[in-house]
Amino acid sequence: MRRARTRRRLLAAAIAAAAVPLLAGCGIQETDVIEAGGPASFQAFLNRDYDMLLFFRSPDGGLSPVIRTTEPSAGLGDGYDESSGSGDENPGDTEGPVPTEKVVLALLGGPGKEDRAAGLATSLPAARPGGTVEVERSSGDRVTTRLPLALEGLDSTALRQLTCTIAYSQDADGQVVVELTGQDGVSRSGTCGLAPGGTGNVQAAD
Amino acid sequence: MITSPRPGRSRIRAFGLRTRLMLAFLLVAAVSAGTTAALTYREARTALLETAQDTAVTSFRDHVQTTGFALPVQEEGMEEVLRDIARKGKPHPWVVFAEYGSVRASSGENPVSTVITPELRRAARADPHGSFERVVKDGVPYLTIAMPMVFKASPDSVLPSGLVLYAVMRMTDEQVNVDALLMAARDGALPGLAVALIPGLIAARSVLRPVRELRRAARSMGSGRLDTRIPVRGSDELADLARTFNESTGQLERSVRELREAEERARRFASDVSHELRTPLAGMLAVTEVLDEDADGLDADTARAVRLVSAETGKLAVLVEDLMEISRFDARAAELNADEVDVAEAIRKTLHNRHWTDDRVRTELPDGIRARLDPRRFDIVIANLVGNALRHGGAPVTVSLRTETRSPSPAVLITEVMDSGPGIRPESLPHIFDRFYKADAARTRSAGSGLGLAITLENVKLHGGTIRAGNLPGGGAVFTVGIPLHAEEAGG
Repeated sequence: MRRARTRRRLLAAAIAAAAVPLLAGCGIQETDVIEAGGPASFQAFLNRDYDMLLFFRSPDGGLSPVIRTTEPSAGLGDGYDESSGSGDENPGDTEGPVPTEKVVLALLGGPGKEDRAAGLATSLPAARPGGTVEVERSSGDRVTTRLPLALEGLDSTALRQLTCTIAYSQDADGQVVVELTGQDGVSRSGTCGLAPGGTGNVQAAD
Repeated sequence: MITSPRPGRSRIRAFGLRTRLMLAFLLVAAVSAGTTAALTYREARTALLETAQDTAVTSFRDHVQTTGFALPVQEEGMEEVLRDIARKGKPHPWVVFAEYGSVRASSGENPVSTVITPELRRAARADPHGSFERVVKDGVPYLTIAMPMVFKASPDSVLPSGLVLYAVMRMTDEQVNVDALLMAARDGALPGLAVALIPGLIAARSVLRPVRELRRAARSMGSGRLDTRIPVRGSDELADLARTFNESTGQLERSVRELREAEERARRFASDVSHELRTPLAGMLAVTEVLDEDADGLDADTARAVRLVSAETGKLAVLVEDLMEISRFDARAAELNADEVDVAEAIRKTLHNRHWTDDRVRTELPDGIRARLDPRRFDIVIANLVGNALRHGGAPVTVSLRTETRSPSPAVLITEVMDSGPGIRPESLPHIFDRFYKADAARTRSAGSGLGLAITLENVKLHGGTIRAGNLPGGGAVFTVGIPLHAEEAGG
């Protein structure tokens, strides 16, 4: 009895073993999300001599870099130049990289019409006119920036906007530590860390 | 002794060896063919799909990399760019979707795809890697590719731009190919199964033939041919079985032969003894007859002794005659000299010869019944039965005759001998035809030899008939002899 039952069970197992690969998985099946190589890089026509790289907030909460060129609005650029107080040292804007002070002021100026059209926004408060930005490159990869606004109460997106904008203005690879000091004396430091493969942005309170 | 051929046995039984062997073969073939087909199919399908996917992802990346985008991405003009990419789709045209901030554009009709899953979007946003996902929507398989776009911030570093391009490609051609693969796998497996039937049949034959031979041999042995042997072929288990069968048959044949020889010796001994006794007995009988005649002249005691010796010698002579008769039966030397006789006439003659003509014996003998009988042996049968009835039963004894016809068997001549005695005790009935059986244990010395009924039985059997002993409801024993009326085969 028992042997017969065992034999029957073996038979059933054999049939099942034959049937499973036959029945399961005919046709094309769905898959999970599968990684396939790196991202695609495209030509963004970034010219560091007269293009600024500003970081705004995209609707999904991340940072989106936008390229804003200084050339077509030379008048506006001159205005910022005056207020920055560092234009004396650089008589011609087109001669070198756009000064960081100007870039930060442009960031504080908020997203432009095109940026807003693409749904970009800023987490930073609107800049009061007449504010000054002081940028000091202390050691090799450390930048200290004095900002005309209070850092207290800014969210992490706002701090990352500032950090990344300053980092990529100072360094083509953005590999500098940025120390921000606000009007209220609060200071924050960190790196941008947006580049693929880089460590996450650090927002450490000093 | 005789194998009963079961009726309605077909050569192919429901779950006979052949069916089971065929099923086993089919199962093995189905498992192997199915597994092979399934594995081949899966591998081929995977290769096919992977090729298509890799081609699509690579070509998508190549095409979007040669396209320029302004940052921030402008919604106007975007559709043109996407359509341009979509046209270059490989291996099939695809629909390209772009997502940037709140900008949604596509090369198709809807700016947002319904096929792209949230998982793919999340993966593309979480880390800048190209990724793809196969989606089946409404039975149509799609390949969806997400390509996060980065741009060079410097010669050495790239920055995520926030732009993600998606390509959605219908995999209809792949589906056709995969379906063709499936058809091919199935069309390959089914003929394989059919082909597997042929070796299955051959293997079943090779197993079934020895089994059939074995069955034939066993049946032949059962019908008495002990010299049956099976040819032993090969060295497998069936050959072992055949060899064992042959050995067992040989031993059985030897044992039976020895038994037969021993029986033969015993019979010959009895036959020889009775033969040897006959000659001196004949002399003794002659002497006792003379003594009997002269007994009256002797004194009383001597005369009684002489008569006793004479009577016992007569009995001894009867016994020896009976022994010789039964020896002839045992040696199968008894012959049936059949002749067509009037049965009623034959019985009347028997009774007349034995002087049983008074009212102790009544007869119910219808005239005109003729049968093929050996008159001498039939005479012995009737004489033994009537004599037995008169001796052990009680008068009157009735001898009746009739014919009986039962539909399947030929007509039978029935002769019944009934007595009016107390009947036969039930425990004696099974042994009543045994040799030297004494139905009445108290009477150790019977008038007969003790072989009468045994000889009667042998004679009836020689006619191809049967004999039954029984009791009448009202008391009295009845012996029923049935002999086929036209017994052609009764000669054996």
